[in-house]
Amino acid sequence: MKLLPWKSTARESGPQTSVFEDLAVPLFPSLYNVAHWLTRNATDAEDLVQETYLKALRGFTSFEPGSNFKAWIFRILRNTYLTSRSGLAAMRTVALEDELDQRNESGPALYPEGAIDRQTPEVNLIRLGNEAALQAAMEHLTAPLLEVILLCDVEEMKYKEIAIVLDVPIGTVMSRIARARMALRRELQSPLAPSTEVLA
Amino acid sequence: MSDHLTSSVLNSLADGELSAEPLASAQEHLAGCPACTSNALSQMMLKQATAKAGQRYAAPQQLLERISRQAAQEGQQLQGSRSRTAPRAAGRFGVLGWAAAAALVLVCVSGVLLQRRAQRTATASAEYGALITEVSDQHIATLAANAPPQVLSSDRHTVKPWFQGKIPFSFNLPENLPADTRLDGANLTYLHNQPVAQLLYSIGRHRVSVFVEGRAGAIRGNDLAAEYSGFHVRGFRTEDLEVVAVSDVDASRLSGLVSLIEQSQTGSQAK
Repeated sequence: MKLLPWKSTARESGPQTSVFEDLAVPLFPSLYNVAHWLTRNATDAEDLVQETYLKALRGFTSFEPGSNFKAWIFRILRNTYLTSRSGLAAMRTVALEDELDQRNESGPALYPEGAIDRQTPEVNLIRLGNEAALQAAMEHLTAPLLEVILLCDVEEMKYKEIAIVLDVPIGTVMSRIARARMALRRELQSPLAPSTEVLA
Repeated sequence: MSDHLTSSVLNSLADGELSAEPLASAQEHLAGCPACTSNALSQMMLKQATAKAGQRYAAPQQLLERISRQAAQEGQQLQGSRSRTAPRAAGRFGVLGWAAAAALVLVCVSGVLLQRRAQRTATASAEYGALITEVSDQHIATLAANAPPQVLSSDRHTVKPWFQGKIPFSFNLPENLPADTRLDGANLTYLHNQPVAQLLYSIGRHRVSVFVEGRAGAIRGNDLAAEYSGFHVRGFRTEDLEVVAVSDVDASRLSGLVSLIEQSQTGSQAK
């Protein structure tokens, strides 16, 4: 097996680096995927992942062994994104509902029954099978809703882990997920959503 | 309507976040409420579809290499700063002490190298098995779905360009196929979180899935031949690609198709 350059050289740099790479390298595809979604272009995504890795390596001594490394490094990615110009602009759109949720001591806001789409049109199901339509719908999500849906559905993180990454209460995570899915449904039901692509 | 499950409960149900008591309560409600059952199912399908659609961008190999160089430099700097205090203690060691330490290091390094070699072999074997399982599962899922391909065409000049911008590599398709072999179309799919091309062929009435992925530091041997749940799995590697075909067709005919695809990558007539 040909080792990645990082793996072969970093092992010579000490056990700390070796432990870091063993934890970090498998997460590289996930970090890049989320970074690309958030930054919406390849160059910024590469810069974001690179900066995240180097920050994580430098700060690895502060990582508690046995705790959740994935949540830890995704939090670094997210914070790094937040400090970028595009991240600052995108995250300004944190919805008013979040503030309302945080003031609500009884827990996450429950949506009124009327807000739940109880219809499941066939066309909607067809579009669920169409990756392009769903990706287009995801592109229309605001950054706070997009990141929560990426962490929950794509990265399969638990609410508790997402709360750590985003540094918000679990109730806020839940309400953002609900809003994100509602927004996706709305996009998929839109007549402008792309249909199944078939080339003859 | 107020008795229906709230969106919060439906989301938590889809995400597997309901604790025992609310879960039991939700299940009891679902047993008697078709509307909520439909919503719960729809929610789960949306989650599943989002999970798949969200795995959209493959990390470029050169990025990992670039980061690796910088990380190695960082690591050396960190190590250097830690070892700056070491020379003070060095003088306290005698020659015998250093010899003993060197012997100990040699023993440790040998042990570690042997262990790593064993680990690599085990990793290669595990990855090989995982690949066969994953491609077979995807092929079975494609057969079960019985859905039209994302690009429905027997024309290689239609199928190949369809992947432009969808996958970070390119490949060739054979021009001349045997009489009973037909290109049915292709799908964009994912193997171990990387986008790959799934070419769909028919040999007689047997369906064949050919997965083409960009090769990124693969550790498997050059030729792949295995059996999985009655399916034949055949494959090859080039400098840039890894190609794996799955089908229940006769193994020799599958190998023939794989061989044609391999020749089309290199442009050679026969291997």
